[in-house]
Amino acid sequence: MAEVTPAALLDLLARSLVDEPDQVQVTEVPEGEGELVLELEVAEDDLGRVIGRGGRVANALRSVVRASATQSGQRILVDILD
Amino acid sequence: MPESTTPPLPDDPAGRVEVILEAVAAALGLDEPVTVTETDDEIRGVIGGEEVGLLIGKHGQTIDAVQLLCHQAAQRVMDPDSRKRVVVDAADYRERRNESLRRQGDVAAEEAIASGRPIELEPMSSAERRVVHEHLRDRTEIETYSEGDEPNRFLVVAPLVSG
Repeated sequence: MAEVTPAALLDLLARSLVDEPDQVQVTEVPEGEGELVLELEVAEDDLGRVIGRGGRVANALRSVVRASATQSGQRILVDILD
Repeated sequence: MPESTTPPLPDDPAGRVEVILEAVAAALGLDEPVTVTETDDEIRGVIGGEEVGLLIGKHGQTIDAVQLLCHQAAQRVMDPDSRKRVVVDAADYRERRNESLRRQGDVAAEEAIASGRPIELEPMSSAERRVVHEHLRDRTEIETYSEGDEPNRFLVVAPLVSG
């Protein structure tokens, strides 16, 4: 498989969780030195699916996306827009 | 919008797990083989190879997160009448971890019997607690139960007072 960026990974994971994959949008917002914010937008009715009970799914998304940035030494924050 | 280099998602549960694991492996820079097998009650995805430490993460945090996401993604396209468990493994991580959990259970059981007091184990996931519960189920001198709230729920091994 070709290179998969943290943003592309988040996009795929989010699409796998929701009813309306076409409405998933990931925006990269650089935040100065070595830090990147990934803004995740989904359809309103899908918000609960990317957050999960007690934030379990959101935390899992953050763990995996953060691990994917370890090699580049980048710090990544995942912001779920509601 | 970032350029998406990941493929569309298939509609079958095992296919989804495979696409997700391939993407996770690629995103982590792991050039390791992904295999997905399916039985009547389980979909099992394994990322093989030597360089899987990054995938496992601290205390298994990353691989447990990947497993949760694969489970959710597979669940969405699963026949509600035949729900399957989704397990994600890296090399032989789960088996080694389960061995260590059973050993911890044995040690706690001996301690509980010797001291006559309940012994608390470290917090662990429900899947890991089940491994310990099942391992100690047939012991007649002790009982096991869980206490506390997720994600810090933990297992207790308590002596059964006879008479």
